[in-house]
Amino acid sequence: MIKLTINGLNVSVEEGSTILEAAQFLGFPIPTLCHMEGLSPYGACRLCVVEIGEDAGAKLVTSCTYPVQEGMKVRTTSKRVNRARRMIIELLLASCPQSKVIQDIASKYNVRQQRFRQEHEDCILCGLCVRMCEEQMVAKAIGFRGRGETRSIGTPFDIKSDVCRLCGGCMYVCPACQLRCTYTEPDKAVCGGCANIAAPCLDKDKFGDMMCYMDPCVACEIEK
Amino acid sequence: MNRLSSLEEFKDFRQRVLKEKNVIDTKPCLVICAGTGGQASGSNNILRVMKRHILGNNLLNRISIRITGCQGFCEMDPFILVEPGHNLYPKLKMEDVPKVINAAVSGKVVEDLLYREPGKDKCYHQQDDIPFFKKQVRTILGDNEKIDPIRVMDYFEQGGYSALDKVLENLDPEWIIEEVQKSGLRGRGGAGFLTGNKWELAHKSKDNSGQKYIICNADEGDPGAYMDRSLLEGNPHAILEGIIIAGIAIGANKGLIYVRTEYPLAIKHCVIAIRQAQSLGLLGENILGTGIDFDIEIIRGAGAFVCGEETALIKSIEGKIGEPRQRPPYPIEKGIWGHPTCINNVETLANIPVIIDKGAENYIKVGVPGNTGTKIFSLVGKIRNTGLVEVPLGTKLKEVVYDIGGGSSSKSRVKAVQTGGPSGGCIPAHMFDIPIDYDSLRKVGSIMGSGGMIVMDENTCMVDIARYYMKFLKEESCGKCYTCRKGTQRLYEILDDITKGIATLEQIDLLEELAEVVRDTTMCGLGQTASNPVLSTIKYFREEYIEHINNKRCPAGVCRELVGAPCQAACPVGTEAWRYVAHIANGNYEEAYIAIREYNPFPSICARVCDHKCEERCKLGQTGTDPIAIRALKRFVTDNVDASVYKPKRSKEKKTDRVAIIGSGPAGLTAAHNLSLLGYPVTVFEADHHAGGMLNSCIPEYRLPHKVLEKEIDAIFDENVTLKCDTELGKDITVEGLFSDGFKAVFIGIGAQKGKRLHLDGEDSKGVFPSIEFLKAYNQDGEEWAKGRVGVIGGGNSAFDAARTALRQKDVKSVVLLYRRTREEMPAFSEEIDAAIEEGILVETLVTPTKIIRESGNIQGLQCVRNSLGEVDSSGRRRPIPIPGSEYTINLDNLIIAISEQPDTNSINPEGEPEIQLNWDGTLNAEKNTLCCSREGVFAGGDVITGPNTVIDAIAAGKRASVMIDRYIRGEELQQPVQKRTPSVYIPPCTLTEEESEGVCRAEAAKIEVEQRLGSFIEVEKTLVEKQAVNEARRCLRCDLEFTQPKKEAVELVTDEETPI
Repeated sequence: MIKLTINGLNVSVEEGSTILEAAQFLGFPIPTLCHMEGLSPYGACRLCVVEIGEDAGAKLVTSCTYPVQEGMKVRTTSKRVNRARRMIIELLLASCPQSKVIQDIASKYNVRQQRFRQEHEDCILCGLCVRMCEEQMVAKAIGFRGRGETRSIGTPFDIKSDVCRLCGGCMYVCPACQLRCTYTEPDKAVCGGCANIAAPCLDKDKFGDMMCYMDPCVACEIEK
Repeated sequence: MNRLSSLEEFKDFRQRVLKEKNVIDTKPCLVICAGTGGQASGSNNILRVMKRHILGNNLLNRISIRITGCQGFCEMDPFILVEPGHNLYPKLKMEDVPKVINAAVSGKVVEDLLYREPGKDKCYHQQDDIPFFKKQVRTILGDNEKIDPIRVMDYFEQGGYSALDKVLENLDPEWIIEEVQKSGLRGRGGAGFLTGNKWELAHKSKDNSGQKYIICNADEGDPGAYMDRSLLEGNPHAILEGIIIAGIAIGANKGLIYVRTEYPLAIKHCVIAIRQAQSLGLLGENILGTGIDFDIEIIRGAGAFVCGEETALIKSIEGKIGEPRQRPPYPIEKGIWGHPTCINNVETLANIPVIIDKGAENYIKVGVPGNTGTKIFSLVGKIRNTGLVEVPLGTKLKEVVYDIGGGSSSKSRVKAVQTGGPSGGCIPAHMFDIPIDYDSLRKVGSIMGSGGMIVMDENTCMVDIARYYMKFLKEESCGKCYTCRKGTQRLYEILDDITKGIATLEQIDLLEELAEVVRDTTMCGLGQTASNPVLSTIKYFREEYIEHINNKRCPAGVCRELVGAPCQAACPVGTEAWRYVAHIANGNYEEAYIAIREYNPFPSICARVCDHKCEERCKLGQTGTDPIAIRALKRFVTDNVDASVYKPKRSKEKKTDRVAIIGSGPAGLTAAHNLSLLGYPVTVFEADHHAGGMLNSCIPEYRLPHKVLEKEIDAIFDENVTLKCDTELGKDITVEGLFSDGFKAVFIGIGAQKGKRLHLDGEDSKGVFPSIEFLKAYNQDGEEWAKGRVGVIGGGNSAFDAARTALRQKDVKSVVLLYRRTREEMPAFSEEIDAAIEEGILVETLVTPTKIIRESGNIQGLQCVRNSLGEVDSSGRRRPIPIPGSEYTINLDNLIIAISEQPDTNSINPEGEPEIQLNWDGTLNAEKNTLCCSREGVFAGGDVITGPNTVIDAIAAGKRASVMIDRYIRGEELQQPVQKRTPSVYIPPCTLTEEESEGVCRAEAAKIEVEQRLGSFIEVEKTLVEKQAVNEARRCLRCDLEFTQPKKEAVELVTDEETPI
């Protein structure tokens, strides 16, 4: 067991667990977008940052990837953490305003507006789908391509993948496109309508701004 | 080469090589730099000529050639260094090569071709005497010139592999680690972690397989940094030796060199070196019979910047996407394929043989405690001596920039230095006193990084620089961390908006806020340092950001959307220079006159005395040729077109609020004119007998004839403007008095009329006068004060005006001008200096007066001391330092002091009136943008608020004041949003044809003969003739067309669209 303090509370947790696991186990809420139990930690969304260390050595780290260490002092909602989180939420809202998940987090942190140029993207590159496909579905049909601003998710060479079994797992885990997939029946996470073709987020370019291209498209039906 | 199988054989081999070296080395050797930089500058051509000449003249036995890697002095490439004399022949042309070879064979030097500092006659015989090399300590880089990188024997001859010898003899990893720890060597890759400590951890780290790696990180991706490349290219065996020693120290059995594919020459030399080492038995199984297995392999990186980060580098070696992962676990525990891995920078490893060979106790003698040893910097950008510089850590930044680098490469001053590549920060020139070490750089918001040093001068826009780096980083971020990927994109977006003039002030705060979050929340070094360029430029150059946002102006003239045509942007009054130049090219001189006159009520005056900021910024001047002679073209138009073609637009509305203007210099008259056009009744008060201020009293007639001046001044006085001469502020009128007389607003434009004093004894002697009074006496009243031998002190235009006026006076025998710095630092126009010298004025530089010698109240002479130039001061100029014992006296009958003026502000605040605020230096305090003074309704502009300045700046102040006074009287907000000033009128281009443009150079106006000038005040410069003017105008690049050219109708691209299923 490893002894550490979280928000001033002395706790001991199992060796090898991450700060996030420890905090969640103890009931400290930490928002995340790219973390999911059963998938390997990745540290892409940076929402789960917490402050460790003291004084000049204090720094922010992502709790989902940082292993607990003996004597560590963790603060999950310090001023610095909140400032960073709110800025990340602003950035997320500026790119992906339509995501229900992001809206919920924003309202929880009382972020009411964002100060950047509004975009309408449907992917935050959290990598959940990639890890789902690789680790749980053992298909490795999709992956990351490019770097920096041109980074995207897709199949190699954009060719329809032979190994994709159209399981829909990628869409199930997606935090950005959840809204359109569960719009009519929120309890059923995957509406199933897209499962007979490739996932919509992968064919974004072809279908432009359309939220989903099922025939008839649920989103379009509602708009009418 | 036979494989050496034991340590004894190795020792023996080394001894033999060292002994043989002393025997052969007798004939002169031509050393040529053929690194990547050298080859790009044409060293291969030089080499070809060298070989042909040597073979053709049968000199093979009398001279040898050594082809080396980069030697550091890249500005002078291609160059030849002749040993044993160490004569450096820079920037050699092919035809000069035989001369150099013949001289070298006969043991002579070709003086004409030797290195000289630009603009100086002194040539340097020895390489080490050249200022670039003099202050350097080239422990690591110095070997490059002695070694042909593909010849392992050269390395042995320089004592190479002696450190390995020492290590193998005393095979104790802990001893090596201790030695490196004692040396205090810090990682040269940027973060500055202690190498010895890293090795200790790596040495202890173990996993079950026993596999351990040492990686040499040669993924050098910073724009402008190339020291790692030069080391690998120039001295690969030193790196190999470092890696082998590191491998032995930490117990690794495999070494990897991760180098970018963009470095083909470095890869080639490394491959050769590895093969040589393998065949000698220094690499491979059972090295020299010691039982150690160690081999080195080269891994080529595909050039992603982020792969320089250690965890990303490991992923890349493993064949995965190069993206960093969370540390801990550190690579030392879990690296390549999960095995312990130690990663060191090329330069760090290059230091290892030095430490082991010389011993840690000798190594720490260089540098400062905590920052030992030397560091290589690549000095690039707007610097005279581009190249690689190796200095001890703790050397002051200004020594590197000014002493080694030679200062700015252009006339403008160095503004800042960017250290550490894209993740570093900008250090402003006033902070160049800081020592270069890891901790000091971090303290000022930058980093050491890999050692790139990009020098920027006043033509570099700091916002644009931040934008450039952010563009680089947003493309090079791996994209894994949301805040790094999106954060850099958003930072770029905001910076881009600022450079386009569409941002708001709040966005600067947003920039800072976001930049801090990006620094805080990203995983690897790339993201954590990505904010540095933004934060440091905002910290030190916030006013530039504000200037972009509020005034829609880019002070450096870089941001395209704000600058438009550079000539127009540079002009304080915004004259569309491109427009009148275009009209001249098309032969429409009247149109050209109108274009000039629209912005400037004194075109003929400016055509003669303007300091033509437009020409300094002319794109043509920055592309290798001379700028357009814009002022001469203006003169051509104003001399040939009658002023009446321009009918100013007058407001029909007659206003009743009266405005008082105090001072009738260019600022006051411009304000009066513009207010009159708006319909205000204006009264101008002038202390002298005539209107004109400095234009009238100080600019000599040979530069600005009185007739021209009078004509333009008289045109100002129309039905709305009344002039009251001989009315002095403080004596005849007061500011408060004017308000009680019913004036609604007062503009103070009284200029700077009081000469500054030298503060020497005897300054009140007869025969000593301030230049301004001397010039005034002559120009206004025709009194000739100067006689006999005249001395002038100063280096500005006013000093030269005084000197040249004195020379034209009847009783003057000789004129000498004394200046404390060199001609390069003189603020006067260079054509003025030339003309003065032509006329026979003796210009003495590097001289400071120390004592005025007098007899019964009359000046007899001047004692002076000679100066040498010392350290660079905060103004970016070298400080003159008196040379003790160099005092001398000159006999003088008159001394004119022209070392700047200050406003005579005593008259502004008479007793019993509310005070108007002054600045510490005696200038009047007025808000920069609105020109408001502390007393409501009072505005000020021109020299009275800035100190001595140019005519065009005064006109600009007058124009601005008229706008502000109008707003004030109408009760509007003074500070209003500024519009961008980009070209908007389309004038068809009329450029030179290809045949015509051959051999065309800048048109120079003819001057009257020197004999004619002496003793007369005839205007010296003549007008351009028509053909000259038209051709000159046709030379213009027409930067405006980018904005004004009618767009061709866009052709729609039809693509084969995929039909949706």
